[in-house]
Amino acid sequence: MGAVLDRGTAPLLLVPSVILLLVILVGPFFYMVWTGFTDLHYALPGRDGSFVGFDNFRRLMQEDQIFWKSFLLTMKFVFWVVTIEFILGFALAMLLFHYIRQHRFILTLLLVPMMLAPVAVGLIWKLLLQGDLGMVTYYMRLIGIIDLRTAVMSNASLVMPAIMMIDVWQWTPFVTLVMLAGLLSLPKEPFEAAVMDGAGPVQVFRDVTLPLLRPIIALVMLLRGIDAFKEFDKVFILTGGGPGIATEMLSIYTFRINFKNWDLGYGAVSAFMVYLVVLIMCSIFYKAVYWNEGRAKPPKAGKS
Amino acid sequence: MISRGWRMAAVATLVVVLVVFLTPYIWIFLTSFKTRLDALADVPVWAFTPTFEHYPKIFIDKGYLPLVWNSLFVAISSTLLSLTVGTPAAYVFARYDFPGKEDLFFFFLTTRMAPPISIVVPMFLLFSVLGLTDKPIAVILAHTTFNVSLVVWMMRGFFADIPREIDEAAMMDGHTRGGTFLKVLLPLAAPGMAATAVLCFILSWNEFLYAFILVAFEGRTLTVGIPGLVTPHGTLWGQVAAVAVVATLPILLFTFLVQKHLVRGMTFGAVKG
Amino acid sequence: MKNGSLLGKARQSALLATALGVAALGSTDALAWSLEEAAAPYKGTTIRTVGEALPPLEAMDKLKSQFEERTGIKVVIEMYEHSEAVNKVMLDLNSKRGRYDFILQPHRELGRFVKSGHLESLEKYLNDTKLRDPSFKPEEQLYQGLWKEISWYEGKIYGFPFTALTMYMWYRDDLLNDPKEKSGFKAKYGYDLKPATNWKEYTDIAQWFTRPEKGFYGTAIQGKRHEALWYEWLNFLYSFGGDMLDTKSGSECGPVIVNSPEAVASLEYYKSLMAYSPADTLNYTWDDVMALMQQGKVYELIMWNDATYAVAEDRDASTVAGKMGFDLVPQGKGGKVGQVEGWTYLVPAYSKNKEAAYLFIQWMMEKSQQLNQHLNGGASARPDVYAHPDVQKISYSKASMDTNAVAKPKPTIPESPQITDILVRELSSYLSDAKGAQEALDTAAVEMSKLLGSCAPLKYPVQ
Repeated sequence: MGAVLDRGTAPLLLVPSVILLLVILVGPFFYMVWTGFTDLHYALPGRDGSFVGFDNFRRLMQEDQIFWKSFLLTMKFVFWVVTIEFILGFALAMLLFHYIRQHRFILTLLLVPMMLAPVAVGLIWKLLLQGDLGMVTYYMRLIGIIDLRTAVMSNASLVMPAIMMIDVWQWTPFVTLVMLAGLLSLPKEPFEAAVMDGAGPVQVFRDVTLPLLRPIIALVMLLRGIDAFKEFDKVFILTGGGPGIATEMLSIYTFRINFKNWDLGYGAVSAFMVYLVVLIMCSIFYKAVYWNEGRAKPPKAGKS
Repeated sequence: MISRGWRMAAVATLVVVLVVFLTPYIWIFLTSFKTRLDALADVPVWAFTPTFEHYPKIFIDKGYLPLVWNSLFVAISSTLLSLTVGTPAAYVFARYDFPGKEDLFFFFLTTRMAPPISIVVPMFLLFSVLGLTDKPIAVILAHTTFNVSLVVWMMRGFFADIPREIDEAAMMDGHTRGGTFLKVLLPLAAPGMAATAVLCFILSWNEFLYAFILVAFEGRTLTVGIPGLVTPHGTLWGQVAAVAVVATLPILLFTFLVQKHLVRGMTFGAVKG
Repeated sequence: MKNGSLLGKARQSALLATALGVAALGSTDALAWSLEEAAAPYKGTTIRTVGEALPPLEAMDKLKSQFEERTGIKVVIEMYEHSEAVNKVMLDLNSKRGRYDFILQPHRELGRFVKSGHLESLEKYLNDTKLRDPSFKPEEQLYQGLWKEISWYEGKIYGFPFTALTMYMWYRDDLLNDPKEKSGFKAKYGYDLKPATNWKEYTDIAQWFTRPEKGFYGTAIQGKRHEALWYEWLNFLYSFGGDMLDTKSGSECGPVIVNSPEAVASLEYYKSLMAYSPADTLNYTWDDVMALMQQGKVYELIMWNDATYAVAEDRDASTVAGKMGFDLVPQGKGGKVGQVEGWTYLVPAYSKNKEAAYLFIQWMMEKSQQLNQHLNGGASARPDVYAHPDVQKISYSKASMDTNAVAKPKPTIPESPQITDILVRELSSYLSDAKGAQEALDTAAVEMSKLLGSCAPLKYPVQ
């Protein structure tokens, strides 16, 4: 490939976007990291941001049980929603792929939940699960899932599964959408070959479909994992972390440290931990992208 | 190969699935047209005489209408800004090799994924130092942090889809490099760009936390108005539902427009629809 | 506004007013001072404030045009939900950008604002003859204890009460007087149905009226993980004879007593009311229980005075207007108690229009504005407002005044909002069965003691 365009100057076109991000995002990010080494606190006098070394990290690692509880809670949330959404979403994609000809129209309808603003989703489910008059509450009582004296959002053991189900409701269509795209992009030959060899549907799925889709599966699970890990809006509207600390996920807890207690030095460390986990998942995602491009895609083609 | 029975079962399953996924939204939509009595009935009411009072009540009398304009303004501005700075960058990523390219590309991805909760406090401080808080530009810039990388990731794919021979042919015809980009490649990538724009718009419109912390009272967006709505108007379900509908319906219509490119958009161009 | 021919009359009426012991338009000095003149240098400026979107602030929003017309100073009011109003102010003060010229904040925020140097003491303006309306005499015209508790810090004046909030018992007077309920209640409990004066009666009555199959409940607690929970529980805590810190005033630090046996008993009792509350009670704040009462779905509550109007008087919003009764919180070991909570006018040190802001606050504190605000759902800190016949007619005036008389202060030290947050979390954990009452309060006590440092040892040691 010849140097059609000037190698020396073209990267200058990157400058505006990079500068923009450096100033608005990276700058604040490093300021946050710095804050993590200080005692900055908006609410307590005398805590004006003097350097305290690793005190905040130590406190987080050794003393803060709530942080680790919410970390664990967040991980559980991520595990369950990603698993359920993946299984349901993939099954649905297979269904559409194999049995339904006009899947485009149905897909359009399915997309509704995932395009709604997460705060709006929170609001909608707040009304639906309201304990006296919520529509869903009513039918749950009618079938006998809960009794008259139980309300989902007020019950410490039901509230987290409920929030997970809401997330599943919102994001399963996303998995379906991507997996269906993946299925449609698969080459035909391996399937034909497998059938010729006498493989049954289960074998074809296990030996051909799954391996071919592996990179896309990784992508979709990582994307959902990252988003689920950052979950804030819905929980903020629905429960604010309660009852007790039953729904206090990491981002809610971080919000509390920063915007309820104004313990910004400590809050920065908590925020950094959130960032770190996202960054790790992000770099795995990046590798998965290349894995996907390297294997699942034919060498070079200009189709959309 | 596929038996009729299986197909029927598949259709039945799909119907159930669609009911589950759509009913909540339909219910809220209906609620926004219910009288107070119907909305607060002990047994859910599915058929009723609609009332149209909630929309004017909440948007005009209670002043939620400006929030719609604010949301529009922020989303459109952020989209335009992101496209302006992001598209040339995407083009460079698609056509050039330079040292550190992959790292830089990864950097763009991380900015898209950055959890707002981690950044929003220092960002607020930065904007107050710059004197930008209380101005819509603060939120617009904040939304641009994730939208610009969306543009870079998506548009890079769209440019990469255009064969390089087209560039070469255009140059042969006497276009400069800049001319090739502006007059030949951009028009070719236009459908992709439109889809990208719509996705940027949606992401900005739906965003909550940045807007919640950064906007001024006059600049509140619709999502920011939602938490305040839940409490003082707790029982005015019709009005609450009306806000939910207005906050979501335009987005749904938009979604249908760009459905073809949605997969690519939502997976950062990693999966092509 | 006034011209010569009115002077004599004004003087006379002022004398009369003084003679009657009612604070009024002013003394002779007032004639030399006028709002228009005082405001002249600030004509054309815009002052901005922020507060909680509730009836008193809405009333102020309606009143402000009078001030704007007289002074040429424009007033912009931002209304937010409770915690958002606090957040906006915290961000503004700490960025020192001076967006707000005065702020309306709950008084537990006072300590941290003062200690961080965010507030301007108002003494300077009170001593400035150009600004001070001579007829404005807060030291005579306001409830002194209340004013000092919610607007003073360490002996300095930082503001004036915006609302003098307190909580008391709300109940359905119409049901209480229903002969069928009366006889049924007596047959079951062996004594007459009347407003509860102690917690046993409160429980009995709540139990009697709880009819879930009809969607009607004896009571409802504000059990959501939210400030509302803490505020509500304080009534129980005080009434049972407990407190959070062993102190005399809000600005003191002292031993932590929040895990005392009285506190534990109050918390256990508080939770027992869940049995007579709707299923969703752990998701309720003041807004939800208010709505419940408005819809006629609950018999009794411990609720706020500033929400009373919307339930007892506002016939558009409430199905039970005119059917409500109000009384002091039932009594336990702690006797008659109430709690002081107030939103207060404060002036940030970074405000660029402090004088204009002062003038507006001073104007709002005048009796006519206070009266108007009070009648529209506010809670004035001026006794003369309560003496007004229109106010006397309001069904909740007596309960409100009686409670104010026995109200206890709460911490306003810099750490107090954090104390609130700790307690909200622990109370909520207990209500949702994640912890026992003793365990929850012990956890809170240890955290509070650690937060406050050496001035706050644990009085009830934790094993």
